[in-house]
Amino acid sequence: MSAASALLEAAGVTRRFGGLTAVDGVDLVLRPGSVHGLIGPNGAGKTTFLNLIAGVLPPNAGRFALAGAEITALRDHQRARLGIRRTFQNLKLFPEMTAIENVAIGMHADTRAGIFAALFRTPAQRREEAMIAERAAAALAFVGLSSQARTPAGTLAYGHRRLLEIARAIACAPRVVLLDEPAAGLNETEAAGLVELIARIRDSGTAVILVEHHMDVVMTVCDEVTVLNYGRRLAHGTPAEIQADPQVIEAYLGRDTAEPEAEAAAC
Amino acid sequence: MNASRRDWTIAFAGIGFAALLPFLAPDGFVMHLMTSVAIAAMLALGLQMLLGVSGQLSIGQAAFFGLGAYGAALMTKEAGLPFLLALPLAGVIGGIASLAMVPITRLRGPYLAVATLGFSIMVYLVLKNEEWATGGSYGLIGIPRPELFGFRLRDPMLWYWFCAAVAALTYVGMLLLQTSRFGRALHAVRQNEDAARASGLRVTLLKSQCFVISAVVSGMAGALFAHHLRYLNPNDFTFWKSIEILIMVVIGGVGSLAGAVLGAAVVVVLPELLRVVGDYRMLVFGAMLVAVMLVGEGGLAGIIGGLWRRAAALLRRPRPALRSAAE
Repeated sequence: MSAASALLEAAGVTRRFGGLTAVDGVDLVLRPGSVHGLIGPNGAGKTTFLNLIAGVLPPNAGRFALAGAEITALRDHQRARLGIRRTFQNLKLFPEMTAIENVAIGMHADTRAGIFAALFRTPAQRREEAMIAERAAAALAFVGLSSQARTPAGTLAYGHRRLLEIARAIACAPRVVLLDEPAAGLNETEAAGLVELIARIRDSGTAVILVEHHMDVVMTVCDEVTVLNYGRRLAHGTPAEIQADPQVIEAYLGRDTAEPEAEAAAC
Repeated sequence: MNASRRDWTIAFAGIGFAALLPFLAPDGFVMHLMTSVAIAAMLALGLQMLLGVSGQLSIGQAAFFGLGAYGAALMTKEAGLPFLLALPLAGVIGGIASLAMVPITRLRGPYLAVATLGFSIMVYLVLKNEEWATGGSYGLIGIPRPELFGFRLRDPMLWYWFCAAVAALTYVGMLLLQTSRFGRALHAVRQNEDAARASGLRVTLLKSQCFVISAVVSGMAGALFAHHLRYLNPNDFTFWKSIEILIMVVIGGVGSLAGAVLGAAVVVVLPELLRVVGDYRMLVFGAMLVAVMLVGEGGLAGIIGGLWRRAAALLRRPRPALRSAAE
């Protein structure tokens, strides 16, 4: 696997919290147009790794590159501006704003109108607002939330809030979107809808890194899977390879197999 | 994503009312009081932008108010600049002073509040001790009457209209800002900073811009204040003034522009109305503050909005119960 074919590359990324090494020399290559699953038992370092990719935390060692360009030193909002967007495991919406306004925030970095333009409602500002409204509406339609456009995000149903976070993250057609347990709390029907949505995001040209406990979702939609355990990369391969990997099975089920699939099914 | 029709209706109804007020009560003292309300409204709007929109608590707004007031007074009195030039320049002074606050916009909640307080204490000491410029504790006297294109605003009614117009422009400007890409971003920063950053928003820049806007408005309010009383004393720009501004915003309703104006009117007018209770007036005033807060965190704007909705619901509902009772 050469770096040239990588859209996003993490090399030897390490992050320590005090004495604990949460992420330990992890490599990951995200290919353009693919969905890359990131799985592992609880506490394996998945969310920490996602935060490192997003730039919320600086790594202690290792580097990140986006389409070959070094981004290790960039902070979260700078990486977001370069097209790395994310959702949060514990939904982080703007609760008092309507759904469509939440999505409009996702397009803020790609638009320009400032204070002067706002005060004088310049023609450029009006055009831009119309464009934002149109594309935000399109993003809501993409995730199937058109009917909720004017609903305050704080009053949306739980499943809808998850979809709204995705709409906000993809509204600007980013290069990479990081989805942090998007299936958490969804029922089977909703999870199936999510699989289909993630596939459509990939087909629209946005590569996906998916942290997920819900194994059906991961195995159905991912092109590649990286397994973390105790902060290290335990395995990497196609879903079929991962499912057959004895190390992975052991990490998930334990040597004694006393509690079959407890972790995997707990999601 | 545009301002709701309701917001604009309230704005223009309020502006219309403010414009007609001199005809309803053509009285010198009422005009003086209403001019004070217009100035206070600008201060409250400035803090509303900061606290209600971007979520930053400042208890040092008096600093920008004082710098604008003294700056404008010295410009017209000592440098002989026209008032109409001193007014925006006072805003510039406030804005430049607020740039000193840019490093502290990284702070949150009580830490930010105390930092703004520290800044306002420093400004107060400068105003009090730099006697060569400010007149120190004796105050600054002999501020000329405001002039517009060589025409003196001697008539309190004209002066009121001028101040009310500046306040109205401030209000409309803030409504336009709030309903723009910029305002949306500030609302987002207040509601979830992590998500704002993850969407590529430059949170520190946005907060700083908001601080500057707030300070510009407060500085301009200072220029109006200086030429309203035509006498300045450092004691008008203490911690208490900042707290008064905070009371206006909270009583009116955090987040509501109309509430900020309403709060300003209450804080300026109520103590005057309460003179009938003599020595107890500030006690009664304090009790009323507690009462409004007990009714709801939405302040007066929240209370009025709630009553309005209830009244509208009552009007819409058919009343068979009443009809049967009548039979």
